[in-house]
Amino acid sequence: MTNSSGNDINLRSVVRGAAFAPSLVLLTALIVIWAATGAGYFWPMWAALGLAIPAGLWLAVRWAMLRPKGASRRYALQASISLVLVVTDVLVWAMSGGGYFWPIFPFVGLAGALALHGLFLRPAQRSLQLRVDELTRSRSGALDVQASELRRIERDLHDGAQARLVALSMQLGRAEERLADHPDSAALVRQAREEATAAIRELRDLARGIAPPVLADRGLVAAVESLASRSTANVEVVGQLDHRLPPVVETAAYFVVAESLTNVAKHAPGASAVVTVHLDGAMLVVEVADNGPGGANPAGGGLTGLKQRVEALDGRLEVHSVAREGTVVWAVLPCE
Amino acid sequence: MRVVVVEDQALLREGMVALLSENGIEVVAQAEDGPGLLRIVEGHKPDLAICDVRLPPTFTDEGIRAALEARRRHPEVAILVLSAYVEPVYTAELLAAGQGGVGYLLKERVSEVRTFVDSVKRVAAGGTALDREVVSALIADRDRSGERAELGALTPRERETLELIAQGRTNAAIAREMVVTLGAVEKHVSNIFAKLDLPAGDDDHRRVLAVLAYLRATGGR
Repeated sequence: MTNSSGNDINLRSVVRGAAFAPSLVLLTALIVIWAATGAGYFWPMWAALGLAIPAGLWLAVRWAMLRPKGASRRYALQASISLVLVVTDVLVWAMSGGGYFWPIFPFVGLAGALALHGLFLRPAQRSLQLRVDELTRSRSGALDVQASELRRIERDLHDGAQARLVALSMQLGRAEERLADHPDSAALVRQAREEATAAIRELRDLARGIAPPVLADRGLVAAVESLASRSTANVEVVGQLDHRLPPVVETAAYFVVAESLTNVAKHAPGASAVVTVHLDGAMLVVEVADNGPGGANPAGGGLTGLKQRVEALDGRLEVHSVAREGTVVWAVLPCE
Repeated sequence: MRVVVVEDQALLREGMVALLSENGIEVVAQAEDGPGLLRIVEGHKPDLAICDVRLPPTFTDEGIRAALEARRRHPEVAILVLSAYVEPVYTAELLAAGQGGVGYLLKERVSEVRTFVDSVKRVAAGGTALDREVVSALIADRDRSGERAELGALTPRERETLELIAQGRTNAAIAREMVVTLGAVEKHVSNIFAKLDLPAGDDDHRRVLAVLAYLRATGGR
């Protein structure tokens, strides 16, 4: 519900509150007059009906306003007002002594109009649903493509540029050996070789930042174990997956663990952590819990980035950080 | 010494074969994929197989799997794995495959020709060669956690010495590397074993195995 409609309702309730008290006073006065004039035919009920109709309409509108803006709210508005009219007709019929049940006609008319409106509404809603499905599919398709493209780039870096640099440094090494009796030239070649080695190292760091090879090779649990063995914190890994997950899910889960363990090392030195990885039906659940000082800011840069990454896959990420009790980063990712 | 080389990229394979022959190491066969490694080890019974991690057909960890299988079938053949990246999980698997006769080096180490040739000879003779990045990932990172208090007790020089020991260097090589006397290295070494509560053997081989056992217990899983 939007803010403006919330304000509308508040305004209406004030107006209604102000109108309600005089109505009640008026009704009481009429009943007193009716009693004083001999309490014959109970005519004040018609005044009560007159006062009830605006209240009924107000309730109907308020209920309809709870719907999201658009076609479904219009439909709800028509339905609720129709209901008030039908109830009014039935009351009028009953209060005027019953007899031939004429309210059936307005009832049929209003119901027919409502049904027609529904027929128009449903295709609109159906096409909206189809569009949502299509967008969901194309988004996850785009993310899958992106994940496998990144892995391809990572492999190309290793097998292409890096391999050439390794071959180059190997040749420089051989040249250096042959220049043993020309120390000046040998020193120059050694410098060139060291430059090549530095370039190789930079490429390796770059490739690892995209996707670590062990993730592509062995899957999530092995990659998490590798992270744990590299971490400065004492990390225990609990988890087993009996099949490989879609690359995009593996990569997102990997970076959740990587970022969380980096945070443990940075903000909770000396703490130990437990990483849990398991499948719950078609959902992958990843949890990183530490016993550090807590107080993590879930709106911090790293955690916000992770949240976006997880939510892009229709997953959920939560951070619970209690002072002196530690921090838990919990993520759940659908894997279809 | 008879060696086989398994590498799918011709440029690297040829460079390595040339480099090894120049240094008096005979390359008896070459292959370019995992099944090829098993075939030439079976056919040539070399002293050492040098292989890449990423090999066809899968281009994942084919090389490690093939090397482990070769080790299982022919425990007498030493294995030296060259990789474009350091991966503690793979190192641990190689170390678990047997006592000695294994190595894991980054590919660019080949360009430090003399050190590389030393490593090749050492592994072929049943020793161990671990890349310094692997070793420092396992040692240096661990001790900051406070969990392994005994490693924290090492002085920086002792830690440096331990890293070199774990790479498979001899005391003489360590002394050269650190530019100290042999006596100083021997003192570091005995301090390390005392602080780590490791039984110090007389020969290098037992000493390396003790350190590797320690690394395996703490870092490799």
